[in-house]
Amino acid sequence: MTEKTQPDLARREFLSQGAKAAAGLTLAPGVMLYGVAEAKPADQAVTSKVRWGMLIDTTKCASGCNACVQACNEENGLGNEKKSRAEQVPQYIRKVELREKATGRVVSMPMMCQHCENPPCADVCPTGASFKRADGVVLVDRHICIGCRYCMMACPYKARSLVHEALEDQKANNPRGKGCVEACNLCIPRVDEGGQPACVEACAAEGHKAMIFGDLNDPKSEIAQRVAKYATTQVRADLGLNPGVRYQGI
Amino acid sequence: MNHLKKLLQMVPAVVALTLSAPALAGVPVPDVPQAVKGEQCVEPIDDMRRNHMKYLQHHRDDTMHRGIRTKQHSLKECLECHVPAQQPNKGSQGSEQHFCQSCHTYAGVRIDCFECHATLPEKSALFHPLVTPAMKAAKQVHTPDSATLLNRLAGNLPNGTEN
Amino acid sequence: MKKTLFTQIEGGKGFYGLLAAFGAVILAGLAAVYHMEHNGHWVTGMDNQIVWGLPHVFAIFLIVAASGALNVASIASVFGKKMYKPLAPMSAFLAVTLLLGGLTVLVLDLGRPDRLIVAMTYYNFKSIFAWNIILYNGFLAIVAVYLWMMLEKRMNRYSTPVGYVAFVWRLILTTGTGSIFGFLVAREAYDAALLAPMFIVMSFSFGLAIFMLVLLGSYKMTDRPLGDMVLRRLKNLLAVFVAGVLYFVLVYHVTNLYATQHHGVEAFILKDGGIFTTMFWFGQILIGSIAPLAIFFHPTLSKSRQWLGIGAVLVVLGGLAQVFVIVIGGQAYPLNLFPGYEVTSTFFDGQVNTYSPTLAEFLLGVMGLGVALAVFAVGAKALRLMPASLADDMVDPH
Repeated sequence: MTEKTQPDLARREFLSQGAKAAAGLTLAPGVMLYGVAEAKPADQAVTSKVRWGMLIDTTKCASGCNACVQACNEENGLGNEKKSRAEQVPQYIRKVELREKATGRVVSMPMMCQHCENPPCADVCPTGASFKRADGVVLVDRHICIGCRYCMMACPYKARSLVHEALEDQKANNPRGKGCVEACNLCIPRVDEGGQPACVEACAAEGHKAMIFGDLNDPKSEIAQRVAKYATTQVRADLGLNPGVRYQGI
Repeated sequence: MNHLKKLLQMVPAVVALTLSAPALAGVPVPDVPQAVKGEQCVEPIDDMRRNHMKYLQHHRDDTMHRGIRTKQHSLKECLECHVPAQQPNKGSQGSEQHFCQSCHTYAGVRIDCFECHATLPEKSALFHPLVTPAMKAAKQVHTPDSATLLNRLAGNLPNGTEN
Repeated sequence: MKKTLFTQIEGGKGFYGLLAAFGAVILAGLAAVYHMEHNGHWVTGMDNQIVWGLPHVFAIFLIVAASGALNVASIASVFGKKMYKPLAPMSAFLAVTLLLGGLTVLVLDLGRPDRLIVAMTYYNFKSIFAWNIILYNGFLAIVAVYLWMMLEKRMNRYSTPVGYVAFVWRLILTTGTGSIFGFLVAREAYDAALLAPMFIVMSFSFGLAIFMLVLLGSYKMTDRPLGDMVLRRLKNLLAVFVAGVLYFVLVYHVTNLYATQHHGVEAFILKDGGIFTTMFWFGQILIGSIAPLAIFFHPTLSKSRQWLGIGAVLVVLGGLAQVFVIVIGGQAYPLNLFPGYEVTSTFFDGQVNTYSPTLAEFLLGVMGLGVALAVFAVGAKALRLMPASLADDMVDPH
């Protein structure tokens, strides 16, 4: 059976034209933007040639703003839990306020699944429902999740949540249901079609531009150039998990 | 011995009654709603009836683990054609009139797809917002619109326009 | 050397009354399961911070005790102590029923217990949980074979080699159970290689305590003679195991106290943790370790059966407290994402998490014990597990 690919040919054509047409924009000295991420054809499997990552500049993150959280909730249909207590409500991304004890310095930043290269959640999942896709995104296959919550115990970033009640009105792009564990999936339905995660778009729309998303393996991408040039840190780097999410300014 | 014989004679009668019980008791044959788009499913009907679970299961693993998002066997795309967007199908299990649930209730096979998956099609998710008609016009890119593409998918258009 | 006569227990009012009591506990537990599964986990005290709660405390306690209950049989088959031989069939069967009870609780608390078949067919072999599924089911099968070797006369000569296999298997199983926590790098209270051997010694202690209680209870209820020699040997063994657990706990905490980075979690457990500190000092140490040791070594109390029973009950209660501190205390202490920073968020980062168990969770946990004891009672009636007499003159002291 041949798979129909016309819609994707058209999209791919447009995007490649768009990419060629995009001029190099200068964002910062020595850092150039070379076109948007190209969507891969829908019938091609993902490969490890790409490694999706995020870079968050906490110096640009505003303390009272949670546009990223709201955009994520809207995109993924979170917040429709009517019966769960506050401690039971799932959150994919949250704003964390830090205060350095020794100096008093205050930092505000978003925290989500760090999409580790060596994810402990994938190691401990008994059925393999928690897994890392070839292009670096860590996902939960909710078809085989049995709801044991071992991944929630194992995650060093407290990124995972359990759906504590039966849900209705899920988004078509983010199926989620009672008894299964979920977390930030880097908006992979969007990314697979050449887009950006909702939080990144929202942050840019707010004017802060604290979050960048891109292919860490592509030396021409903005994120790869930034992490090669400026100092960035990974949270809990001592665990050796090599997260795909990096931070500047902490 | 006599008792046993009598019991055995009753067996065919009991079996006949049991098998005709659905007709006698009146379990409604499902009123499967007509698809709202297209004239033909992506696979022949009898093939779909027997094998839709295999197609869906194979495709879900392809999508989840390999990122393959072709539309032919995608559950979301099934809903696009088979479920009208305005139908009040609220409820995570789907009401009896839902396209999937109606047959499954009759067949007595429980599905849990819709505990997680949306029961209604979400048209806005279909095509990426980058590709809007205005931008296409500006670039003079000749791509068919969504209705044409869907009809092609469903095999509606005459042969000449299909690739 | 007199041959041991094994007999079934008889029915009667006491037996059926006991079954009815267990049945009530099981029914209550099933009602709790329906409530939790039908509505979702929002009806429980568990949340995204305290992920595993009271059901898991009971389940892990029962599973750990299960492998320890097999100890008595192993001492007979593997270590050749003849005094324990008559006790071996009871020990093996109790191990099976305790494991069944623990697994029942564990499986029924899953977010999607209807997907158990998925857990049996999709395996991620890097996960210790997946290995545990194999180890637990294998344990049930191996101990069933072991029981068969012990109960059927012409297979008795195979009971030693099968006993060896069962012994090694249960050591691997308990190591696997301890490693559930030992393998977690994320949480400060876990991520210690010591947890696996500590769980093994805990299993010795909890399993033997439950075995002693079942022995005392069943022999009293069926009016069978139970001699002092058997009880004295078991008591001394239990005292050694309780002291062993105390040793491991001591090493665990002293080592943690030596590392400045762990001072936070240690202060939490030992000093500032509220209910967890109480559970640790009062439940685990005082009630679970010091009081039983005092009873077991006291010149007069150690000779009284009632006090032995009390001592064993205290060990069980202390064991539950210990598992509670490990499982829930370990989750209550916040993850340390940003050393040197104070952290706040809408997702409860940086703060000690609270846990208020609901009745449903308690009923589910206790149901495990009910299942274990009910199945044991039925087994003791259906099979010839119990020696007709364990009086001193019927038992080989070697």
